[in-house]
Amino acid sequence: MAEPVQVERVAAFDRASASRRWRNLAGSLITQESVITLGASLVVAVAVLLPLATLIVSSFRVLDFLGFDTHWGLDNYRTLVSDRIIRKAFLNTLFISTGSMLLATVLGVALAWINARTNCPGRERLEPFNLVPFFLSPFVGAIAWHNLAAPRTGLLNAWARDLFGVRGHLLNVDNLFGVIWVTGIFFTPLVYLFVVGSLRRMDPSLEDSARTTGAGIVRTTLTVTLPLVTPGILSGAIIVFVTSAGEFGVPFKLGVPYGWETLTTQIFSKAVGDDANHYMGATMSMTLGVITAFFVWIQQRIIAPRAFTTVTGKGFRPNVVDLGGWKWVALAFNLAFVLVAVVLPIFCLFVVSLHPVWEGGIIPADLTFWNYQKVLFFWRPDAIHSATNGIYNSFILAFTGATLAMALALVVSYMIHRTKGAGARILDFLCVVPIGFPGIVIAMGVLVTYIKTPIYATLWILLLGYITRFFPYGQRNVSAVMMAVSEELDQSSRMAGASWLTTLRRITIPLLKPGIFAGWVLLFIIFLRELSISIILYTSGTETLSVGVYYLANFENEPLTAALSIAQTVVLLLCVVVFRRVAGREALTA
Amino acid sequence: MEAGSPAPRHLEVRGLVKSFGPERAVDDISFGVPRGKFLTLLGPSGCGKTTTLMCIAGLHRLDAGEIRVGGVAYTSVADRIFLAPERRDIGMVFQSYAIWPHMTVAENVAYPLEIRKVARAEIHDRVADVLRLVGLLEMAGKLATQLSGGQQQRAALARAIVYRPKLLLFDEPLSNLDLKLREQMRVELKRIQREVGITSVYVTHDQAEALVMSDEIIVMSDGRIQQTGDPHDIYARPANRYVSNFIGVANLLPGRVVRVTAPGRGEIEVQEGAARVRLPCRLGEGVGEGAPAVLSVRPENVQALREDRGEPRLEGLVLQTIFLGNCLDCRVRWGAFEWKILAHPRYLLRAGERVFLRLDPEHSLAVRP
Repeated sequence: MAEPVQVERVAAFDRASASRRWRNLAGSLITQESVITLGASLVVAVAVLLPLATLIVSSFRVLDFLGFDTHWGLDNYRTLVSDRIIRKAFLNTLFISTGSMLLATVLGVALAWINARTNCPGRERLEPFNLVPFFLSPFVGAIAWHNLAAPRTGLLNAWARDLFGVRGHLLNVDNLFGVIWVTGIFFTPLVYLFVVGSLRRMDPSLEDSARTTGAGIVRTTLTVTLPLVTPGILSGAIIVFVTSAGEFGVPFKLGVPYGWETLTTQIFSKAVGDDANHYMGATMSMTLGVITAFFVWIQQRIIAPRAFTTVTGKGFRPNVVDLGGWKWVALAFNLAFVLVAVVLPIFCLFVVSLHPVWEGGIIPADLTFWNYQKVLFFWRPDAIHSATNGIYNSFILAFTGATLAMALALVVSYMIHRTKGAGARILDFLCVVPIGFPGIVIAMGVLVTYIKTPIYATLWILLLGYITRFFPYGQRNVSAVMMAVSEELDQSSRMAGASWLTTLRRITIPLLKPGIFAGWVLLFIIFLRELSISIILYTSGTETLSVGVYYLANFENEPLTAALSIAQTVVLLLCVVVFRRVAGREALTA
Repeated sequence: MEAGSPAPRHLEVRGLVKSFGPERAVDDISFGVPRGKFLTLLGPSGCGKTTTLMCIAGLHRLDAGEIRVGGVAYTSVADRIFLAPERRDIGMVFQSYAIWPHMTVAENVAYPLEIRKVARAEIHDRVADVLRLVGLLEMAGKLATQLSGGQQQRAALARAIVYRPKLLLFDEPLSNLDLKLREQMRVELKRIQREVGITSVYVTHDQAEALVMSDEIIVMSDGRIQQTGDPHDIYARPANRYVSNFIGVANLLPGRVVRVTAPGRGEIEVQEGAARVRLPCRLGEGVGEGAPAVLSVRPENVQALREDRGEPRLEGLVLQTIFLGNCLDCRVRWGAFEWKILAHPRYLLRAGERVFLRLDPEHSLAVRP
């Protein structure tokens, strides 16, 4: 096709002048899509990297003896190694994380297996209850278990004394084992979700072929089923380990008052306590963050990808194991979990909240709703004010935060899945980074970064902390749906003449609605109960709901604390109902 | 291709280059489509045909080259012009149909008109017209998810033509349909395209589809154009071994042109194992005396006879015959080569028989290797 005629035609195309060419280039590069996606990428990069970078830099700033001057040096790291309290806190954290990891893994794997693969009666009905602790505040769980099993005022101990004549106390959760107990049962759903998905998606022929070779049910389960879900189990275990290490509320309630410090409670005291030293706090945060990020990296890059090599994504009907008479044992086990993780804590908090004062026993004549009126509706210039204030602030934060985070998540997911190249890969990585760091570490980074800016002491700094730490959860919800929606659906809208924004509004967003809404509700729930970021970043006037609970727990009595805890729990449970309506159970595993 | 003044080209692609990483998906290709014509880009997956289409649509940016529609530059790397896809006024039918599942069929088809701010009443009429054209009028109120594959296909076509675009692009639109429906839709698509008269570019890996539908076919491989021509040309006069092998079935024997007897005619010597023969044949473009070439003969142009008719002698052994009703599919061993032959069913050849093959020099073509 090299006709001379054609060559002339090409030569006849008038070439644009140089200046026109640059204008053409600018016009073709500056589009709605490029401006918005680049803008969002920049926001994500700054939000994620700046606090971490500042944290690293700050950890090398040394505060001098009087607290006035600073210089560069490694003193903070020297203190970290030599300080007895910090060393003990580190060991306690390690002990708690290991303990709750073991507890949650045993409980989570057992519950997942019972629910996914056995004929245990009522398992469909029990599943939602197994997941409830996932949505509730572990801090409130700690408060509840303190009221249940504190040596003197614990309800269970009181019952043991009254009914069985136990002397002294039967149970005591005010120690490291108590911390392990509460974090363990509250993080059991994490393991459960990782494992139950693999169990349900497993190709039944893998087990059938083991059975045909002569292996019994028990043998098949131990030699085929469990090894196949090992990546899921390991993922869950690591996430529990890391989440426990970053947990603040539980050790703060059950450990600190009894002399058991952890890294998070130490960071807290360095951030706002009497011996505040932000640089030391930054150093400890860095240490904690490096450890957790390392484990999350292992989980994300090494373990999670293996989960799909043996377990296909096809929809199989999994084999169901007939437990015979043991199915009642399985049911009892599951009911026991729901009892200790959900029913008892909520019941106990409710009972406590109805008493003017709590002495460990139920006094029917004293029951009153007065505490609710006080914490929910009374504005008084003392600690209760913080509680009421916290309710108001938390709703603002949860609503705005979830909305902004999902908008960001949408654009970021679009970038990751619909554009190719280095930008998408970098962004994909940036979205994993916040998951590697506990909320309290991110919060410490945000604090040292923005303390001298006008956003400090406003709700904005909390919003920034929340979104930075948690928008990846929203992004994963959107991404899951976006991967299932063909890119051609967007492209055909562009071809039909719609601009990028119109396509986003009329095609992309409507198609992603389930994922966007599920992500929104999940973030709303997370933000409504958030404690470890809030506790670092709040100031007088910007308390949140969980900070309110913390206030009441610290400065008021147990019944008031319980009343606000119950109020928070009720709202969270309502959100859970909504969430289960809009999202499949897979939406949580992200 | 003969010289002379070509029809004015509605779509003009020049020097198109597109790389993904170090790999050149499309490597400097140029072609044009006259107004109202139907061009097919044909090739195996990974040959760059879909990438070319995406570049025309504006869904990919180019690394080099120029794309013009109706004389207007849509993309020009030299002039740094890149028109956003929504401003190109191109209709496109995607492989997955891409019918929006949250809208009805009518809403899907009305969408491009709404974007163009066409008046309500007119939208209604035009949607009805185009749905009637594709035979989906009764399905107007159905959701996309309630349609069968073939119906989604028609809806996608309706949506792509309702705004009378300057150009219509098809990205393997029939590949998800079953064979029977595919054959029916080929004819249907072609009829509708002819009726609305929109210049079209069609991408497929299915040679039968290309032969049935196209005014012109471009055979591509490895990001380059192997041959351009109308369906008959491509089939009867493949430019090289690749095209000959890709389109239809051919007996391909490597050899050497030993003599040029007349312009475009000559003799080729082929050797397979112990067997060697000189055969008169036509010479394809770029094949001269002494040049290595490949003899390409379609199975229907080979005769298998029981009696020897003298030189050139191709004596072979029937390995296998399959009776297909209207013809007989035979395999004949000659030296190390196995001939594919479609014989008339009245020659009831049997496996194990010795036969003599006769080739028609008019339909024996020496092509570039």
